[in-house]
Amino acid sequence: MVKIWKFNRFHIVSILFILVAVVIVSRLFYLQVIKGEYYRELSDRNYMKVFITNPPRGRIYDRNGVLLAYDIPTFQLICFPYILKKNHSVEEFKHNLEKYLNITLTQKQEEMISKNLHPTVVVKKELTQDQVFRFWNYSYLFNGLYIEVVPKRVYTEYANYLPHVIGYVGYPSEKDLNKNPTLNINMLIGKAGVEKIYDHILRGKPGEKTVLVDAMGRQKKILWEEEPEKGNDIYLTIDIRLQKIAYESFKESGKESGAVVIVDPKTYEILTLLSYPTYDLQKFYQGMTLEEWKQLTTNKYKPLLNKAFSGLYPPGSIYKPLVSLVALENGVITPQTKILSKGEFSIGKYVYKNWDKRGCGYIDVSHALEMSCDTFYYQLGLRVGAESISKYTRLFGVGEKLNPDIETKSGIVPDKTWKKKVLKTSWFHGDTVNLSIGQGYLVITPFEATKMVLPIINGGYVLKPNILKSYFDNKTQRLVHIQKEIIRKMEFKSYNVEAVKYGMYKVVYGYAGTAKVMGTVPIKNAGKTGTAQVYTYATRHKKYHRWDLRDHAWFVSFLPYDDPKYLTAVFVEHGESGGKVAAPIAASILRKAYYQKVID
Amino acid sequence: MDIRSIVKDYDPYVFLISVLLIIWSVINIYSASFHEFSNLYIKQIFFSLLSLLIILFIPRFVNYRKLLELSFILYILGVLMLVFVKLFGTTVLGAKRWINLGFFQLQPSELMKLIIILTVAHFLSKIQLPISFKNFLKLIGLIAVPFVLIKIQPDLGSALLVLLPVLFMVFFAGFKSRYILVFNLGILLLSPVIWNHLQDYQKSRIIAFLNPEEHSKESAYQIIQAVIAVGSGQVIGKGFLEGSQSKYYFLPEQHTDFIFATIGEEWGFLVSSLLVLVYLFLSLRILYIGYGLSDMGGKFICYGIGSLIGVQAFINISMNIGLLPVVGVPLPFLSYGGTALISFSLLIAIYQNIYRVDRSISFKLVSSEVQKY
Repeated sequence: MVKIWKFNRFHIVSILFILVAVVIVSRLFYLQVIKGEYYRELSDRNYMKVFITNPPRGRIYDRNGVLLAYDIPTFQLICFPYILKKNHSVEEFKHNLEKYLNITLTQKQEEMISKNLHPTVVVKKELTQDQVFRFWNYSYLFNGLYIEVVPKRVYTEYANYLPHVIGYVGYPSEKDLNKNPTLNINMLIGKAGVEKIYDHILRGKPGEKTVLVDAMGRQKKILWEEEPEKGNDIYLTIDIRLQKIAYESFKESGKESGAVVIVDPKTYEILTLLSYPTYDLQKFYQGMTLEEWKQLTTNKYKPLLNKAFSGLYPPGSIYKPLVSLVALENGVITPQTKILSKGEFSIGKYVYKNWDKRGCGYIDVSHALEMSCDTFYYQLGLRVGAESISKYTRLFGVGEKLNPDIETKSGIVPDKTWKKKVLKTSWFHGDTVNLSIGQGYLVITPFEATKMVLPIINGGYVLKPNILKSYFDNKTQRLVHIQKEIIRKMEFKSYNVEAVKYGMYKVVYGYAGTAKVMGTVPIKNAGKTGTAQVYTYATRHKKYHRWDLRDHAWFVSFLPYDDPKYLTAVFVEHGESGGKVAAPIAASILRKAYYQKVID
Repeated sequence: MDIRSIVKDYDPYVFLISVLLIIWSVINIYSASFHEFSNLYIKQIFFSLLSLLIILFIPRFVNYRKLLELSFILYILGVLMLVFVKLFGTTVLGAKRWINLGFFQLQPSELMKLIIILTVAHFLSKIQLPISFKNFLKLIGLIAVPFVLIKIQPDLGSALLVLLPVLFMVFFAGFKSRYILVFNLGILLLSPVIWNHLQDYQKSRIIAFLNPEEHSKESAYQIIQAVIAVGSGQVIGKGFLEGSQSKYYFLPEQHTDFIFATIGEEWGFLVSSLLVLVYLFLSLRILYIGYGLSDMGGKFICYGIGSLIGVQAFINISMNIGLLPVVGVPLPFLSYGGTALISFSLLIAIYQNIYRVDRSISFKLVSSEVQKY
């Protein structure tokens, strides 16, 4: 028995291998010898061709259904060089192309066709209607040529008010193709803005048709076909009327650069997101001259940057409502506590000045907000402590991407550990003093200015900001709404919140208020100005008046005062004064919006 | 080194075949890729030269028994590389298989094929044969780790090629059939019961795991084009560089998994069936030499190498002529791929070393105890 076993193992495997080899050789014999002629013919005369149909992308609308972006079909002429060359000489083809379709081949195209470097060559993009008709009439002269429908993105005039939000589309790069093998090179994909963020909703699925064509290039049989699926339409939370007003008001102000954000404090839907200056979206997508491109990229006001989400600036005094509420909630002060606030405040040999040399007197927190009294907040900040201020600021969502899809950057909220880690020094009282008036290491994006006020006026809710309101799902034929999402809720005592809100009310309507211009808006409102220093040394001592050394101007505002429906943040880069520059822009926007019945 | 020492020290058949295959690979890869202005064949020349050096010199300077003793360390290194590739590997077409070394993309799964053969051979040489049930379980654990790591790259082809040679080695080693039969029967009988208790989403996950490419149109297209290419070669082929299927982009992956289709198209039935016989001879020759050896380690390495070459070649060729679905298995020596070529050359070098060191002793000492395995 044993002898048979030892004999078998090697032989079993050998026999197995030999059998497999016999099967393979027989199959080769069948394919190459018996059916060889048939396959030779197939490979000579019949070819499989894959045609890919790219579906239109979804449209982009504003919240009221105003069209911002859509697709139109264009026709392009493609060529399969292998079939072409079997039927025509390249010279003859070139001649006919010029004679009948008025298309001249470039040197490179001619080379690509004559050398068979690619399976398909695009002969001409965006054919005119006349060219399409002529091609059908003379198609017998053009074997191996086909017309392909390619979608093209069109941006409406309204889209030019928010090019940064919309973003743009383009053909996938090699990197994109490697990452996602389902893409193809003729497919438009989102490259920036909502076009990119919601690409998965907008894109749709390309169709694929594999056909057998004969030697003349005629379709003989469809082998398999997959219909393209159109992309889903999306509705943004943007109100394009408000966006347009914001753009126009900013432009009228004559200021060079900045951002405007208007949100609904109850849902944190973004109604307006302007980054100024803007650029021409259609031109940007369709290709511009080198000159135009250079102008865009070297412009010192950075039109390509979405400042609302990507610029980081010190907030200045618009930080004070938050600091006030932290102090009140910590019990360091009550709404009635009065603090003597002089023209300057010193710690040891360091002197910290108030913006108004005369000082503010013996004032409570609402009054301090009204006058934007720095010395009041220096003392308040030291009493509360930097740790507590930073902690609350973070709880408000500053320095955190509450919606990482749309927020490209988040601010820096400094504290002891941050300073140790980044600057390798310890935290001083002077840092606390600076922090309490929104200066020093604290930087935020203009969008984050709304985060500083939002929980104060909506009952303590930190919400996820949204720019997408809904989208129409083609598969289920339903409109899908994006739900409001609560990230956390903070509990504030109502009399504390009222004190802060009252202070902001006095900013607009009080005797010493810094934004009286907002009183021209026919709705009862409140706000806070901010003027943030950029470069203390140069501005103070050398009296430079260079644009990029001037202070930043800020204004945050909410209305109606009793039941806020609109929270506005205006940022003017190097605008010099919150009260004199940023607040008038906000007033102009809200006034116009009121009279045009956009807000109520 | 003169010809005489090669004939004396090396197995001349295996030496000749592997060298010819390596040289031929450059020619074919040139044909499959020159029209894309690609420099793949230049890289292949470089790796071929390296491989020839390996085949010539490694058998003289490295003793396979040392390698066997190191096999477990190699195994750990191989597994670590697979983990590394999963975490930091280069993604190409959705799969993470390569570590980018700048000048060269290392494919650890190819090295793992070699390492697993050494590890299992070492394991089998240390234990009492036939394999006990307990040792069988240990073996399963040993293969499972690399198998799963490669499978999730995802690379079903390479994962199978880590597994299959081991199955052959286990078959050669023999086992106490009762237990293992019971084990396999148990799984077989229980599987429908387990299957019925799974949730639908779990079932679909298992199906997707076993066959990710099931619904892929891509592979249907590849198979049809490959079959047309092979068939159109007829008896003597269209001639070198004349294959229209491959030159006009009908045939995808023609320098890697579908290199056989290019060969079939350009060289015809005579050469392609000769090639099949060459692979058959190569693997049987190595198995046969292993069969005659007395050293258990060397013996099982030979079984592993022989079956790997045979199985991999036959799976790849079957895939090219429409006998098997596309699973992504390259053709030994001929497909483009630096790591694969080097690891096959290393296998041949190890085989030659075994041949040199062991053969002289073992054929004199063939005892019934040894012949049993």
